[in-house]
Amino acid sequence: MRLFITFVGILMSASILSAQDEGYLTGSFETTDHAYVKDEANKFTPADDPFGSNNYLKLDYYKGNFSAGMQLEGYAPVLIGFPDELSKFALSNLYASWRDEDFQITAGTFYEQFGSGLLFRSWEDRLLGLNNAVMGARFAYNFEDKVAFKAFWGTPRLGMDLSDTQLRGADLSVSLSNILGFDEVMLAVEGSVLNRYEKISLDAEEAGGKPTSTGFSGRLNFDWNGMFFKGEYVDVGKKLVSLTPKRGNAQLVEMGYNGRGLGVTLTGRRLEWMGQKISSRSLSTANLISYVPAMSTQYTYMLTTLHPYNPQVGDESTHTFNSGEMGGQLDAFYNFRRGTKIGGKRGMKVHANFSTYYTLAQEGSYTPGNLLFRDFSFDLEKQWTKEFKMVLLYSMQEYNPTYGNFKTTWLSNIMVADLLYKWTPTFSTRMELQYLTTQEDKKDWMAALLEVNFAPHWSIWGSDMYNHGSTKMHYYNAGVSYTKGRTRLAAGYGRYKDGFICSGGVCRQIPQYTGANFSLTTSF
Amino acid sequence: MRTFLLSIVALMVSAIAVAQVPSVTVENAKGETVNTKTLIKEGKPMIVSFWSTSCKPCIRELDAIYDALPDWLEEADFRVVAVSTDDSRLLAKAKSFAEGRGWGEDFTLLFDKNQDFMRAMNVSVVPHVFVLDGTGKVVYSHTSYVPGNELELLEAIKKCSK
Repeated sequence: MRLFITFVGILMSASILSAQDEGYLTGSFETTDHAYVKDEANKFTPADDPFGSNNYLKLDYYKGNFSAGMQLEGYAPVLIGFPDELSKFALSNLYASWRDEDFQITAGTFYEQFGSGLLFRSWEDRLLGLNNAVMGARFAYNFEDKVAFKAFWGTPRLGMDLSDTQLRGADLSVSLSNILGFDEVMLAVEGSVLNRYEKISLDAEEAGGKPTSTGFSGRLNFDWNGMFFKGEYVDVGKKLVSLTPKRGNAQLVEMGYNGRGLGVTLTGRRLEWMGQKISSRSLSTANLISYVPAMSTQYTYMLTTLHPYNPQVGDESTHTFNSGEMGGQLDAFYNFRRGTKIGGKRGMKVHANFSTYYTLAQEGSYTPGNLLFRDFSFDLEKQWTKEFKMVLLYSMQEYNPTYGNFKTTWLSNIMVADLLYKWTPTFSTRMELQYLTTQEDKKDWMAALLEVNFAPHWSIWGSDMYNHGSTKMHYYNAGVSYTKGRTRLAAGYGRYKDGFICSGGVCRQIPQYTGANFSLTTSF
Repeated sequence: MRTFLLSIVALMVSAIAVAQVPSVTVENAKGETVNTKTLIKEGKPMIVSFWSTSCKPCIRELDAIYDALPDWLEEADFRVVAVSTDDSRLLAKAKSFAEGRGWGEDFTLLFDKNQDFMRAMNVSVVPHVFVLDGTGKVVYSHTSYVPGNELELLEAIKKCSK
């Protein structure tokens, strides 16, 4: 309550200081509720309380250069598969900020990212139940778009409370192209430093661990007429892995060309002991202070997401005994323009991706070891007529079920057809047909989805994912949604398979369950 | 808790002005930082669409706008801003993706890699589209997309242009 009174006080001060500007309030509310049902076929029995409910209320007030806001979260109780430490209600975010064109200062809760996030990222992902916002102070200064500096001090959140860890960080970006007056070229050098403090156990101290560690990153960004290059080197400092001192480091390179309807990106990355935790005592999936995503295609079709890639960051709390991974991906997008021979009257879009990742052959090496994941995919999108649009996707995915500990890999071939037909300007149907074939695991799968849309408000869908190769199980799902302006209501019922929910490359494991769900999202 | 609720109500009552574009730093297609307030310097109405490479309805919506744009521009003068909410996993891919769909020619592309702009506009899920008048005030917004929703955007833009 003391925090809240301070918050209201800051708001009032802000209002007085910016009396010439009209203030406005904006916010959002989101609730997702499940009612679980016993389903013997799915080997699922709900807990004594068969309900789950995740709720978020966010409010922001703006007046001139001032802003202030808060977020209230409630888990009554938390939905199945989310981090257990999320429970009851909490005023999780609270901030006040002042900003003009060049300068910004924030007190309270904030989110921040240095470079690609490999050294430090605080962010919120409600799909994962992750919110590692930092409570403290942050300021940023931008000098004529030539030099940008930001620094912060604070404590990251873990679960419903603040952790015992303290973070201090600074980031500097120097735009050489703006300093030298280059118009067409963008060239910037950047660097960050992050200092972390956490009380450690006597055992850890005796093993050579220290409560304080310091990491840094150096980056180079270049762009000229669509050609681009980004390089980042990260050293997260010394840490203990199973009471053995290790030095975490990562290298990331992205380069390519974007122009004339062509987009090509080549990415390479190597990770070694890059698991960075808020707390050395928590096993939560939300216990992260850096962002080490899977640099591969993020699929959305049901059968393409059965075995999403989970990067091996090099950490004792994951399933791996490897020190990290190395690999890369190549993406190519091309738009065959309208009126060309291949593009036809309405154009055609194609995309191909190849990604491959290996364990490190040994610590400190730049030589690949066992294959962890490989994917080749190709997709084609064609608007045949004003009414009919088709997407075809093929993906060949190979993944290592032992997280690289052994050489064995499993291979699947997946085909998807996504067909959209607009019967009238506001009535359309969309159908997905999917097939997965493999000799391993649960053998072949098939899936279908039908969506019927009545714009502007209603959408109804039904889907089934069927394992006909082994288990003969159906994973069905049906629902309806109603949208009006900024409000969307959805309700459905379904049987869900165990697996991983991945968002941005961070994955959390979810158990199988069956039940009804309801969600409401609104903002104002 | 009563104080809390009363304070919220008081804030809401005081919130007489319409929401508008907040000042947030994002990246442009070249990777340079851009303040979102600069969007309103031209004084034109605009469609601001939040999207991501893994959001199929977002892509359908922006494609629908892209296809309709030549006709729409005959009826009103406005610009389209496509804000990618892809984080650093998909940021480079989002730029290539947008180029591979031709969006770069007709849209202003912005990249909001830590979702600061998205949060400031209170966007919980994508797709989420706003229509802003020439001063940056929100006159229309919509979440989710099914084919046909784009027709409301032109109506909102026309109202701003009057």
